[in-house]
Amino acid sequence: MTQTIAGEPLLDIDAIDTYYGAMQVHFGLRLAVGVGEIVCLLGGNASGKSTTMKVILGLVRPRAGRVRFAGADITGWETPRVIARGLGSVPEARRIFPAMTVRENLLMGAYLRQDRAAVSEDLERILDLFPRLRERLSQRGGVLSGGEQQMLAIGRALMGRPRLICMDEPTMGLSPLYVDRVLELIQTINRQGVTIFMVEQNANLALQIAHRGYVLQNGRIVLEGAAAALLRSAEVQDAYLGGSAAPAA
Amino acid sequence: MDSFLRTVADQTVNGLVIGNIYALTAVGLALIFGVSNLINFAHGSVYLIGAYVGWVAITWLHWPFVVTLVAVALSCAAIGLVIERVGLRDLQGSARIAPLLSTIGLSFAFDQIVQLAFTANPQSFASPLPDTRWQVGGVTIGTLDVLIAAISLGVAAALFAFLRFTRLGWALRATAQDRDAAQQMGVDVNRVQQVTFALASALGGLAGLLVGLYFNTVYPTMSFQAGLKGFAANLLGGLGNVPGTVVGGLVLGLIESYGVAVLSSTYRNLFAFLVLIVVLVWRPRGMFSRERTLPPETLTGTFISNSRPVRLPPILLAAVTAFAVIIPVVLPDPYILQVLTNAWLLGLVALSVTLVTGTTGQTSLGQAGFMAIGAYSSALLTLRAGWPFELALAAAAGISAVVGTMLVLPAFRLRAHYVAIATLGIGEIVNQAILNWDSLTNGVLGLVNIPPASLFGIELVTPAGLYWGALALLTLVYLVQSRLLRSPLGRTWRALRDDDVAARAYGINLNRYKALAFSVSAAAAGLAGAFTAHMYTYINHETFTSTTSVLALTTAILGGLGNLAGAIAGSVVLTVLPELLRSWVDYRYLLYGIALLVLIRYRPQGLLGTD
Repeated sequence: MTQTIAGEPLLDIDAIDTYYGAMQVHFGLRLAVGVGEIVCLLGGNASGKSTTMKVILGLVRPRAGRVRFAGADITGWETPRVIARGLGSVPEARRIFPAMTVRENLLMGAYLRQDRAAVSEDLERILDLFPRLRERLSQRGGVLSGGEQQMLAIGRALMGRPRLICMDEPTMGLSPLYVDRVLELIQTINRQGVTIFMVEQNANLALQIAHRGYVLQNGRIVLEGAAAALLRSAEVQDAYLGGSAAPAA
Repeated sequence: MDSFLRTVADQTVNGLVIGNIYALTAVGLALIFGVSNLINFAHGSVYLIGAYVGWVAITWLHWPFVVTLVAVALSCAAIGLVIERVGLRDLQGSARIAPLLSTIGLSFAFDQIVQLAFTANPQSFASPLPDTRWQVGGVTIGTLDVLIAAISLGVAAALFAFLRFTRLGWALRATAQDRDAAQQMGVDVNRVQQVTFALASALGGLAGLLVGLYFNTVYPTMSFQAGLKGFAANLLGGLGNVPGTVVGGLVLGLIESYGVAVLSSTYRNLFAFLVLIVVLVWRPRGMFSRERTLPPETLTGTFISNSRPVRLPPILLAAVTAFAVIIPVVLPDPYILQVLTNAWLLGLVALSVTLVTGTTGQTSLGQAGFMAIGAYSSALLTLRAGWPFELALAAAAGISAVVGTMLVLPAFRLRAHYVAIATLGIGEIVNQAILNWDSLTNGVLGLVNIPPASLFGIELVTPAGLYWGALALLTLVYLVQSRLLRSPLGRTWRALRDDDVAARAYGINLNRYKALAFSVSAAAAGLAGAFTAHMYTYINHETFTSTTSVLALTTAILGGLGNLAGAIAGSVVLTVLPELLRSWVDYRYLLYGIALLVLIRYRPQGLLGTD
């Protein structure tokens, strides 16, 4: 086991068992995300990746185990309370509010915040980060392209000033150009001090920007370590990168 | 001003005033549909309660008008919270159609409670407002007209501001657009849902109060009509579309008002339901949406929960049937026979609804329409054309099958909630057609002296004769239907219930199979209606109402949807139980409502399990 987190982890998932009815999804799942890290969770279809996200967000309740976030035991908390604790979410398939404008979507991200002046400042700052969104500020979210919607979803999560952002498949369904942009952006945000936990199917790309990674298989963590090591690992190569071929740069 | 223009102007004012009230009713439905994806059938009851609370406050307590408005809004908001809790939140995770059915149960219960408290008689409701009238360009406008316009426009403006500018309003819109995503922004969606129900119900209650004042009367049955008008206005504007619904209400009010001026006031409701059907077919997303396809619904919206149906051994079925046959011999009590005859006839309708709703997944709230078609066909063929009963009965089944299926045809492209509303509207259209087609149906007076049922020249006039007649029909339909369910046709029907997309992918022509299901169903319901007509020897437009349709659906759910033996068991329970508790007869619908609520919550698969 490689434990590279200094100090108490920001997010700590400990011995989680999750079930859908009689079907068990997680078997004693353990993982941790340290302050300032980008950690990615890799895994194939039906490995339990998305359910991990749902457990953290309080959308699915585990039958056993503990989830700690920012110094509190958040196991079984309702989603809004978890969000209030400083968690931001970029949901799978983006989930933009289609009939609200880009501006309204961004402000919905700050729903729980009371500091109006700071919210306006953050809005400006985020629009500087996404000039494309500024151009479309009064358009409805539903008419944006997939890539623009992903930018909006990330911007919306940032508006809550979260300590940790959970991203579920942030590159899914995007054009290659936007995939690169989103990955760059994740690094930029991370450098500004936001911790990132992302679930990805595209292991090669995710590991290029992540610090550490976990590999989930049939509800168990089968491999974990520094991103660079995982990228070189024969097992990850076999499982996700199509054999021993060198990763495309 | 010449008299034609004056009439047009007067009808316009009239239509706008009524339309404002429709809008006020329908806006609540739109809010609830938007946030909770539920068509709230209890909304009409909220409106009714609002009207009665206002009536009590003004007529008995002599409260000032403004205080009355507040009292109505608050008490109806409280009712809204009850509906949200019992009808929706407690049912989270069950089949999508379950909350819809439980709001039907709630509306049965609420309406009956109002009726028990204030009797079924209309109460006169004098307006406490000064009766000032103004002449504006030849049009007369009264205080109440102005007040209604002010309240509904004020409410619309306030609602717009609330949704656009307040934090809670944003939360409400976000929840309506994407519930999960809203939750992940930190929105407490349960709380939003409560606020929505409270707000919607307060508005619905105010609408009821204003209608009571406008027509100077309140009566328990105003609930159902109001609910239907609300659906129509809401569909016109687009389900869940709040501004669209306001316009929808006004348009509906104007159409009715002009229609009534051109024809007669008995046509008022016919227009509402014709508009409803036309919109459903022409633009199912409302007149402001150019899209002609419905939003996708992940589940086909059946009430089927996975359950293993109770299989009765054939020997037991045969024994029960044999026992049923000899009852008139061993228990020749006319009262018991009459009750059981009613049970067999309800069983017939329950079989018909369980076929389309249980087996095929098309929630039908229009079976009474098919019954009425069968009843009038058979009655008219015997009365006017002199046909013998047996022939007329067979023809009635055929006519009901053909006409009924043609009426439902436009609803075939719809799914889930929309099918339920469309079939409800079709049932009402049949009713309104009977009421207005005087030359054929004798209108309000109905048909009298219908020849009694007979078999080979022997008249079935004794309780035992009628009992055996009804039992024979029930057995016949049961055997035909169970044979059909075991055939490849039955499998296809279940396939389109379970996954219509997959069924289509297998090359199944959905419309053809839905048409087949509805024609068999309409034939069975038509037989029940025809037999009833000859049993009573008198029918009118009130013999078969939407309440009958709802009762038939309740019966089928009670027995277990799709389960034939269950449908019959359910009808015996629902017919015999209120009779056993003789003193409970006044509470009959309260009982039905509670039965429906309890079932959906604790045994959604029904007594004998879904099949």
